[in-house]
Amino acid sequence: MEVVEGLMTQSAQLREAAYLSDQNYDQQIRETVASLRHVISKKSLAAFASNASLLDHFDPVADSLVYLFLLRAQIQAFQEESRENVPPALLPPGNLWSRIVTYLRAFDPVQVRYAGQEWRQLVEIVAQAAQVVSKPILAVRPVRDAMLRLDPSCAVFTSTHLLLVRLCLRARAYTHALPVLDKYVCHFPTSISHATSKFPVLPCAAHDSSLSFITETSGISSKLAYKDYLQYFLLGGMIYMALKQWGKAAHYLGVVISMPTAGPISMIMVEAYKKWILVKLLENGKVSSPSNLIPSHTAKLYQSLARPYVNLAHSFQRGDLENLEAEVDAGRDIWCTDHNMGLVSQVLSAFSKHTVMGIRQTFAALTVKELADQASSMRMSDEATESAIASFIMSGAVKATLVQHSSGTSSTMLRFSAARSSPQFSDESKAQACLARESQSLGALMESLHEIGHHMGLSNEFVDGMQRGQIWANADDANTGIGEDAGLEIDEDLMGEVP
Amino acid sequence: MDTLPDAFPSSTQTRFGAPFQSAALGPSSQGLPGMSENPEVNTRIKVHDPPKFDLESYIANYVGRTRFDRLYLIGTSSTVLSTEALKLAVAEAKSGKDVSQYEKAVRALSEVAPNEEDASLDAVWVHNVQRQVQAQSERLEQELRGYKNNLIKESIRMGNEDIGNHYYETGDLLAASKAYTRMRDYCTTPNHIASMLFKLINVSVERGDWLAVQSNVHRLRNAQSKPEDQLKNQPKMAAALGLAQMHSGSYLDAANSFLSTDVSLADTFNEIITPNDVAVYGGLCAMASMDRGDLQRRVLENSTFRNFLELEPHIRRAIAFFCNSKFRPCLDILEAYRTDYLLDIHLQRHVSELYTLIRTKAIKQYLVPFSRVTLNSMATIFAPEVIGGEAQPTSVSSPFVQELIRLVKDGVLNARIDLEKGVLVSNQTDLRTDVQNKTLESLHSFNQEAHLRILRASVLHAGLEVRAPDSERRSRLNQGPNLRGMGMAERFTRGGLRS
Repeated sequence: MEVVEGLMTQSAQLREAAYLSDQNYDQQIRETVASLRHVISKKSLAAFASNASLLDHFDPVADSLVYLFLLRAQIQAFQEESRENVPPALLPPGNLWSRIVTYLRAFDPVQVRYAGQEWRQLVEIVAQAAQVVSKPILAVRPVRDAMLRLDPSCAVFTSTHLLLVRLCLRARAYTHALPVLDKYVCHFPTSISHATSKFPVLPCAAHDSSLSFITETSGISSKLAYKDYLQYFLLGGMIYMALKQWGKAAHYLGVVISMPTAGPISMIMVEAYKKWILVKLLENGKVSSPSNLIPSHTAKLYQSLARPYVNLAHSFQRGDLENLEAEVDAGRDIWCTDHNMGLVSQVLSAFSKHTVMGIRQTFAALTVKELADQASSMRMSDEATESAIASFIMSGAVKATLVQHSSGTSSTMLRFSAARSSPQFSDESKAQACLARESQSLGALMESLHEIGHHMGLSNEFVDGMQRGQIWANADDANTGIGEDAGLEIDEDLMGEVP
Repeated sequence: MDTLPDAFPSSTQTRFGAPFQSAALGPSSQGLPGMSENPEVNTRIKVHDPPKFDLESYIANYVGRTRFDRLYLIGTSSTVLSTEALKLAVAEAKSGKDVSQYEKAVRALSEVAPNEEDASLDAVWVHNVQRQVQAQSERLEQELRGYKNNLIKESIRMGNEDIGNHYYETGDLLAASKAYTRMRDYCTTPNHIASMLFKLINVSVERGDWLAVQSNVHRLRNAQSKPEDQLKNQPKMAAALGLAQMHSGSYLDAANSFLSTDVSLADTFNEIITPNDVAVYGGLCAMASMDRGDLQRRVLENSTFRNFLELEPHIRRAIAFFCNSKFRPCLDILEAYRTDYLLDIHLQRHVSELYTLIRTKAIKQYLVPFSRVTLNSMATIFAPEVIGGEAQPTSVSSPFVQELIRLVKDGVLNARIDLEKGVLVSNQTDLRTDVQNKTLESLHSFNQEAHLRILRASVLHAGLEVRAPDSERRSRLNQGPNLRGMGMAERFTRGGLRS
């Protein structure tokens, strides 16, 4: 029992230290974490592990660290007892489960920065437990809330990001991921940069950017590989697709396809490119050229690997329905194996919508029959066309009204409302809200930009100097620069071939 | 030897002929300038209406080779005047020394009127002329060689000039222009240079080499000649430049050149262009390319160009009608003279395009004051034949409405068609919403672009770029995480140091 008392004194000290300067607080937390890790490894708590009441002595908010390690010890004990990764005692709706969930909502984000590894393991075990009982939805909210609590900006990519989108996709709880997805991920945990190595960073201090305390050594994220972030953005794009937010989906997929490569491209990127084409068609009816960050040889690779999709987009943009349907039929196997059949069928229905929108540019009012004549793609009966148009109007995609004549002899009249009707109040306030939101994210991006500039050792003067250098540099210098790079790459290839 | 200026590509006719069908359907003009019935000579435009001019007096305005070219063009294009024109052409060719011209004219005549006595080849004459020409060529070349041995600049120049003139007369235009170009090195006075350049311009016009015409005019402008000579040459230069610009399709430049042509042109340039031509070309180009204010200020109130317009009063009237927004009479005048212009050697290819431009501008101009205008009232002005001829003059199938639809789709008219009420509604723009939307859009796209770039930089900084599976592990082990970032920083420093 003296172990528990020792813990209590430690946490009491920690509470007092919170009012001290950052340095002292930092030191106190580090000591506590070290001793707690020591205690855990010695398994001196094993005797109390099954005793649930032990946790009652501590407050999950004020004694976050101790509570976290006690939870950890209990889980470990159960794991050893049942010899399973996720012991039955942990499964929802057990007592321990609800304790963990409550803890993840309430922990002290500053203290936990020092015990990132334990925190991450806790989050992961929550996710696993929920999946073991086949209710991933149960883990979605705790994981998301824990992430947002630890790092409200969510700007540094961690393995938890990927975990969350996976859970949301499994649980089909797409909207739950939005609070995290709507924030721009801009950084990756790095080792401590050179600029700051002289002055050790205190994780407990207040930071502008979460990049300062989420580092490679903090353990908040597991070791990352390129596949992790590619998957995160692909899956994020798929969540937006499920919500039919095509613009954001296209952006997420655009991120995947324009990531830098050292030679080969990943299959994830190819998959993203295929989806990106379809999403672009759904978003505005045409495929604009992808970002100019993609080197031309990569773009060519994409084109050749996603040939059926490119052809589909071509016939969509040419406005040739027969060709489009032929492409869709011919590629049925391809769509199915790529799991894109749903998107392709949506593309087909989006085609007639875009045709009607095109006609809207030319006509203010016309009969349904005349519309069918104008748009060769609409070769349904008049009634079918009419109901199709009615559904477009109801979905809000086309602003128009249909007027049926009482006599019933003449065709129904379709009248598009003026391209820009008088500005309504709701539009104004909506636009204002949008502007505010965009400018906010612009601000966040600017901060990230400063951060990355700082980390890479770039300043405005530096960039200016480099520009001048580029102007002065003659062809000879440029060649040596390229030569260096090429030399490095060849070196890598040679090494790669040696097993 | 294909030296005729006009190759008359059939594409211009098919491209621009179509929109004109509606305008030319009037009862007065039965014979439409359409595609030729004879597929073998389908590069020729066929004109069935009698023109307003008298052939004899028309051709009397010109001197030199252009007489034959014009007669031949009329003979092959107009069905009414073919025999008369071709007979004159044969006579014209026979009075000169160009055998190929003569053969061409005789061949054309034998197709149209095989029974004419001129329709058979005068073998004796051909033989004689060929022999003479051959002897002359040899003599001149011999003389030139002699001059070159004596190294007297002036003699060499004159020798070259004689050879050039000789080739020009006998129809070997390529050799002629080469001979004239050779004069360049032996020109000693500005006068010589000017006369050489004019000869080059003449040959280039004959050959239809409009780029050469333009470059020679520019050379002439930069030549250091005396101010009074400059003044004397100005009208010819301006007219030649205008002609070249008209042929290259830049009608506004052409109009400006013609408008700046001085009255002193009179009949000094009859081997190329007459003052009447300047009036017609200048007027049509101006109408096709200038807005109403400019037309009024720079054409009608232009004191020098007025002298030209007095020669062609109907052009003046058409422009005046256009300026006063009386579009029907304006278009009527132009229609009435369509046949004449189709038989003009330089205008033939451009008539359709110029007329389309004028008509489109008229329609645009007509719509300016209206927020909505009935299709009927538009049709009475722009397509009177539709009103009389069709049961439903403003239904979607009528050619006039089709023309409007095309204009709207091409974005020429900022309006939409209301087929129910039979009106054309101009689009109201709401600047406030426009600006809001544009701001939002640019902000949004900037944010996305910035995110993409920041993320890319972070990926490179963290050493997480996509790479082949085995090389990834190795590089992260061996070279540390931010190899790429370091490399970049190194390059930056070099640039910085240099500056």
